[in-house]
Amino acid sequence: MWRKLGIVGVALLLLGGVLQAKVTLLYMTAGDINMLALAQNVIGPMFSERYPDVDLRTIHTGPGDAGSRLIFEKLRAEKSAGKETWDVDVAMVHQIFLSWVKDEYGDLSELLLPYAKDLDTWKYVTSPHAKYALGVPVEGYVMPMFHSQTAIAYNPKYVPEPPRSFEELVEWVKTHPGKFGYNGIKGGMSGVSFVNAWVYWKTGKYEKYAITGPFDEEEVASWEPVFKELKEFNKYVTITAGNVGTLDALNRGEIWMGPVWVDMFYTFMLTGKMDPNMRLVLPAPGMPGQPMYFVIPAKARNVEWAKKFVEFVTSPEIQGKVIVEMYNWYPGIDGTYVKDYVSPEAYERLYRDITPEELQVKGLAFPLSPYFKAVLESYEKWVIGG
Amino acid sequence: MFLLLPAVAFILVMYLYPFALSIIRSFTDETGGLSLANYYKAVSLYGRDILFSIQVAILGTLISTALSLALASYIRLSESRVARIINSLSRLGIFLPYVVVAQMMRSFLAPHGLLNVLLANMGLVDIDTPLQLFNIRGLTFGFLWKETPFITFIVLSGLQVIDDTYIEAARSVGAKTRHVILRILLPMIKPTIAIAVVLTFCTIVSTFTLPYMIVAGNPTTVTVDIAHRVTYFGDYRVASALGVFLYLIVGVMAVYYLRRTVREEVYGY
Repeated sequence: MWRKLGIVGVALLLLGGVLQAKVTLLYMTAGDINMLALAQNVIGPMFSERYPDVDLRTIHTGPGDAGSRLIFEKLRAEKSAGKETWDVDVAMVHQIFLSWVKDEYGDLSELLLPYAKDLDTWKYVTSPHAKYALGVPVEGYVMPMFHSQTAIAYNPKYVPEPPRSFEELVEWVKTHPGKFGYNGIKGGMSGVSFVNAWVYWKTGKYEKYAITGPFDEEEVASWEPVFKELKEFNKYVTITAGNVGTLDALNRGEIWMGPVWVDMFYTFMLTGKMDPNMRLVLPAPGMPGQPMYFVIPAKARNVEWAKKFVEFVTSPEIQGKVIVEMYNWYPGIDGTYVKDYVSPEAYERLYRDITPEELQVKGLAFPLSPYFKAVLESYEKWVIGG
Repeated sequence: MFLLLPAVAFILVMYLYPFALSIIRSFTDETGGLSLANYYKAVSLYGRDILFSIQVAILGTLISTALSLALASYIRLSESRVARIINSLSRLGIFLPYVVVAQMMRSFLAPHGLLNVLLANMGLVDIDTPLQLFNIRGLTFGFLWKETPFITFIVLSGLQVIDDTYIEAARSVGAKTRHVILRILLPMIKPTIAIAVVLTFCTIVSTFTLPYMIVAGNPTTVTVDIAHRVTYFGDYRVASALGVFLYLIVGVMAVYYLRRTVREEVYGY
């Protein structure tokens, strides 16, 4: 009896030793729950299949900016503790993460490794988002894994001719009270995106707010009428509970139109949670979208493996088969390299309502961080409050 | 004295330190100087939400306590099988996390959700102008659904240790059921009810998931505002100021609870 147990014990120890020899790559990801599923069930196993010596261990920090905030706080804590090597090998973050690093340290290299140009897949990256994130120069520090875009989803049964511009949208909403829904600014980014698009439209200052800057207090003061009009507009809309709230309300027929994330919209459709007849439209002058980025912490333990991992996920094959085909995101690398790896149906689905050319013109960025905060606070002050 | 050290140190480091830190942070401005700016912003942007939180907490606590007392008394006094089934069923809710409750309520209370469709089929509402419940009504309903079983559970455990002879004695001199409940049973478990009320009130004030997932637009609860400040602005100062308002709201209950405990221990009533 004891001998048997002894043998089992030794075997377990040996097995432990063998397992130890494997590299564990610690991957922290912000984003919705699908980001966890993506890492744990799809790219993790695929990566381990390609490189059997590596295991991907995924930690999910939660949706929205809050998820990125946790990653930022983790890295900042590791830096403040003065550790030689940090726990996190590679992370997936939103754009705002980069402006937090910039605000806190002035120089991205304090917290992050400039690694992107070492990758074989760097040559496929053409997106302007790989150079600037919310006005912060990030070239070399980030690799976009995908781009997600907001747009207006509508029910063609009730809306045969969707509005092609914000002017038409406002017209439509006034004649169909309660049938346009969005989730305000406290329930997720699809509502936040709509409010920012409203400001771009009303002020016509997209360039200044989102690309060139600089931040100007007087601009913010001039927004009062812009938000008063939004308050007036809100009298005709239904406020929904969250990003998913808008999608659900659309599907149940409570609203006929509302801003959504394109990828969530198609994923809902593919999983049977959304009427497949629903369509999308991107009204002029456009709406914001954002990429999510791979970053590697400055003192990551397994830098070489982390690079291999990012290279793997940004390869045309994975971008096509996983990012576009399975997850309905726009690819992080240039779409032309991806086409060969995607089924025609998936490609058609993604680009049917919003063509690549339209996306080029009307796929906007979120405003620079100080403007972004000012937009949210102005909404609280002039739309919710006064 | 020495043996107490680990426990005291743990409380100091894990509770008092962050508590003090959040209060200090709520009074500091960007440069680290003393300032009331955070409170000014908290009140001017979220003043209505602070009142909303208090309103929901009072409403939720009062109604769920009343329902629970009735339910617990019924279960205690009734011998029937129905009472036993209700007793077991009501406990299910206690073990569900708030996030699950919120997800259920989202599809139950939606304009074209289960409740409205049901009422529409019965001809009680028009589905084109359904009941709007993603507001204080739906939120309070969600809290009732979750908290009533919890209070019932605590109150019932108090009721069950009361000896049957008291009830029989009361009945033998002609007490009706409502007299038995109001004059005999409930007065005997007053301390237990007080604990349940305090715990429920504090839970409602501090819950984030339910209002975050259920309430559409404004007003909403302070907990949602705190998350909003931290998530979008990385602004822990105004978030801390909002947190201090929550301390104050909960503090009223804490003072009541402590006074009550001391009174019981010292004077024994």
